[in-house]
Amino acid sequence: METLAQQPVLLSSEHVTQRFMMPSGKEMTVLDDISLEIRKGEIVCLIGPSGCGKSTYLRILAGLIRPSGGTVQHRGEPLEGLTPGVAMVFQMFALFPWMTVWENVQSVLVPLQLPADEVQHRVSSVIRMVGLEGFEEAYPREISGGMKQRVGIARGLAVKPELLFMDEPFSSIDALTAESLRGDVVDIWDEADGEPASIVMVSHDIKEVVFMADRVVIFSANPGRIRTIVQNTLPRPRDYRNPEFLAMVDYLHDVITSNELPDVPVAVGTAQEAQVLEPLPPVQPSDVVSFVEYLDSHGGQGDVFVLAHEFGKEFSSFINIVKAAEMLDFVDTPKRRAVLTPLGYRFSSMETDEQKVLWKQQLLTLNIFKAVYADVQVARNGILLDDEVQDQLAQLLPNENPEFAFQTLIAWARFGNLLAFDEDSDEVSLQ
Amino acid sequence: MEEPRLNTVPVEQPPRGSQPHERRPQRSLIWGESSVATSIYRSRALADVVIIIGILGIFYGITQVSREWTGILRPTVQIDLSFGALPRYTFFSLVRGLAAYMVSFIFTIVYGYWAAKDRLAERLLVPVLDILQSIPVLGFMPGVVIALVSLFPRSNTGLELAAILMIFTGQAWNMTFSFYNSLKSVPQHLREAGTIYRFNWWQRLTQIEMPFGATSLIWNSMMSMAGGWFFLMVNEAFQLGNRDFRLPGVGSYMSVAIEKGNVPAMVGAVVAMVVMIVGLDQFLWRPVVVWAQKFRIEDTGGEEAPESWFLDLLHHSHVLRWIGAVNAAIGRAVVRVVRSLLRRGPGRSHAVQPKPVHVDVPQQSHRPSPGVLVSRALFAVLLITLLLAGVQIVRLLATVHLVEWLRLLKSDLLTLLRVTVAIILGTLWTVPVGLRIGLSPRLSRLMQPVVQVAASFPAPMLFPLVITILSVFRIGLGVGSIVLMLLGTQWYILFNVIAGAQAIPSDLKEAAASYRITSRQRLWKLYLPAVFPYLVTGWVTATGGAWNASIVAEIVTFRGETLRAQGIGSVINEAAFNAQFAELAAAIFIMSLTVVLVNRLVWRRLYTVASTRYNLSK
Repeated sequence: METLAQQPVLLSSEHVTQRFMMPSGKEMTVLDDISLEIRKGEIVCLIGPSGCGKSTYLRILAGLIRPSGGTVQHRGEPLEGLTPGVAMVFQMFALFPWMTVWENVQSVLVPLQLPADEVQHRVSSVIRMVGLEGFEEAYPREISGGMKQRVGIARGLAVKPELLFMDEPFSSIDALTAESLRGDVVDIWDEADGEPASIVMVSHDIKEVVFMADRVVIFSANPGRIRTIVQNTLPRPRDYRNPEFLAMVDYLHDVITSNELPDVPVAVGTAQEAQVLEPLPPVQPSDVVSFVEYLDSHGGQGDVFVLAHEFGKEFSSFINIVKAAEMLDFVDTPKRRAVLTPLGYRFSSMETDEQKVLWKQQLLTLNIFKAVYADVQVARNGILLDDEVQDQLAQLLPNENPEFAFQTLIAWARFGNLLAFDEDSDEVSLQ
Repeated sequence: MEEPRLNTVPVEQPPRGSQPHERRPQRSLIWGESSVATSIYRSRALADVVIIIGILGIFYGITQVSREWTGILRPTVQIDLSFGALPRYTFFSLVRGLAAYMVSFIFTIVYGYWAAKDRLAERLLVPVLDILQSIPVLGFMPGVVIALVSLFPRSNTGLELAAILMIFTGQAWNMTFSFYNSLKSVPQHLREAGTIYRFNWWQRLTQIEMPFGATSLIWNSMMSMAGGWFFLMVNEAFQLGNRDFRLPGVGSYMSVAIEKGNVPAMVGAVVAMVVMIVGLDQFLWRPVVVWAQKFRIEDTGGEEAPESWFLDLLHHSHVLRWIGAVNAAIGRAVVRVVRSLLRRGPGRSHAVQPKPVHVDVPQQSHRPSPGVLVSRALFAVLLITLLLAGVQIVRLLATVHLVEWLRLLKSDLLTLLRVTVAIILGTLWTVPVGLRIGLSPRLSRLMQPVVQVAASFPAPMLFPLVITILSVFRIGLGVGSIVLMLLGTQWYILFNVIAGAQAIPSDLKEAAASYRITSRQRLWKLYLPAVFPYLVTGWVTATGGAWNASIVAEIVTFRGETLRAQGIGSVINEAAFNAQFAELAAAIFIMSLTVVLVNRLVWRRLYTVASTRYNLSK
């Protein structure tokens, strides 16, 4: 792998930025200044919390979306339309339900206008490669998720791509199947003669990333930026139980937690001056409550990644729960541990009614709730409209989708009996 | 980013997953005693015999139809009221309905595709479709008939085409809306897969978009065929000014029978119509529905798959397999020849290279593709045509006096009142009955086919009967026309209530039962809210039908006597037959405006409420 740096660059993005226009007319930055090179013969994995724009970035690299700023170059040429020589494997498989396995693979060869026997040959060879013999005549609805994704991969390989893009390809599949499929993909890539030469994969699973990647690109959210790029030089074939492998997983855990749960919370201290507030993690209050109670009954502390696993959540959404609990001062997060605070212990031992009172009290320590609460208090009749609150949120949280932020805000406020919201009249009022 | 589109008009399309056709597979076991039929035809030889006879029959039919078409234009066709003539007349009507359906289908694909793909054209095409669908079928008649008859002055072709085009105007719009909506809602990952693998527009259309829209398009096709029959009597026998146009068909047979007061002939026509509707269902729609099972998007387990004995029969046939094989061989040969010609030809490199791909992203390239150029040109033509037509109509409308407008407005309000009453009455009886049927699997199995025939049956054919009954009770047409409207449109409400009741999740029903909720509470808290979205769909369809029906319900000729009720429908009817174009245009303008306004102000809002608050799938 030492020679990787000398391999030619297949695809590069320079200062790529992506902005979306919100329905309210405000712009939201999804990706900010992303520069990255994909070299021939490497597997690059993009990882980061949900909403960091990694899937959008993958689509920009593939030429499916044109970035609002910056450029993408393929072998040094600026990209016009689709990137040449790409195939894509989708999270939801994107198989055509009305075609059999065979027809699904065959359909992508039609545009290539190959001779009929070549088509036959290619379809049967990729179907064999991914282990789907005997299922040629099955319809997607008749086979399991893992099999569906095998079809998705076979379809990608059939066009003999130079670059294979995979958008969370294993996240809709059960863990065991995913593991064997990952091994198969790496084997195929290893044996393939440059078809595909390189794989770019979006993932949220650290073990998966360590298993697959030569380089791990870690994104942070709001707006999506590249935090760090970690080289992974573990020799292949990789073994999930190898100590070096586990050390690498551990290292990535540390890097990501220090991004997502910094030991010194930055936003809270500077918020008032800057009038930019820390966004609300998109979680339900009930999740926070059960997390705090779980922590209390399991020794009051634990490793965030171990907890995520025990809690049965994928880490990118679990980390939001931890973040929320931290904002409310129920836990502390030294390094990658979550430790219950005295307040957290008190909260955990309370009855639901008392919990709600304390929750309300803690909400009012957060600037964003202070601001909205104050506004509702001075509003005419004590009522604000949904849109008015969203406008305010858009100003306070310029990088957030105000609609989602509103939903989270209302869920939290309702739980603490702080604000009421009537969905029929769109009115926010005091409880 | 694409902004989500609201349906500009609620389409005759039940909420997702509610197609009763899809859900009620048992129906084929009831209809046509198909279980008996399959056992008879299980033998392959017999299947072949039936199919060969069928093919011969089709050939014979074609010669008959072509003789009729090329026949010299007769001033008035004498309709033979003997029963022996009925099969031939029914066949002619069937061919007209099918031909109109073909036109509707092609129109749907072209118009829907254009509207969905060209952002600029979409802004014009969707509102135009919205207006077209609010114009009553009869509103198209004078223009179409005059134009086509003058195009073919010496043969029946013009008249036949006019009848077909008028049936088309009763079929096309909801199909087009359905296809357009399907095209707009193709899931993003399927679209992206098409783009990344460089599907050209044809491959996208045939392998992604049409299959995706198939289920909804088929459902709407069945509704459209049914809707197309509604004006059959008018379409096959109409007067324009002092000219009497008449075509041989079951519709004209019926209208002559009514004129002459020949009761056996009327009964005969009704029976022939029912046979045709049941036959169409068994021989066309049922097999299509079964075949379309493969276009289902989600895997909804648990439901029995629909069956079709006729499709099974086709599958069993040697003859068809042989024809299929020959066809495929010919197809392969043609492809081979074309390919070799292309390879040999001077444009070789051109032919082998992949065609330019359409990427979902707006391209910055300054050379528009040929598709865009064609679209722009067509758009310009359409815009100019619409403007010219608009100017003509405004000129025509300008000649209408203010007093006349006020009279029309009054008539319009009267009809609006009748439509409203009809919908209310229809709802009052269909909701309890529909709930009863839909909640009982046994009853739905028995009743659904009956309801479907009733819904497809052209109600005007029953008007004489109803008027006879009404006259016994001394009810005039002013009130009686409400009953006539109801006759044609209540089925849509019933239909949807049944579908809604069937779709109530069993866990909700079980929860209601386990908490011993009283039946009254159950009705108000569970059944009505659950059925509400379906009810709205039914109302929308029924209202559209009622407005259309007002044209034939507010003025009825029976045994040489013409009954008339004041209303916009009777105004349109008389204006059309007396060729008073200014009045006709004004009346249609007012009616369409009312329909569009009611859609915007009432139905769309109810739709929103139904799809947010009472949506059980969320």
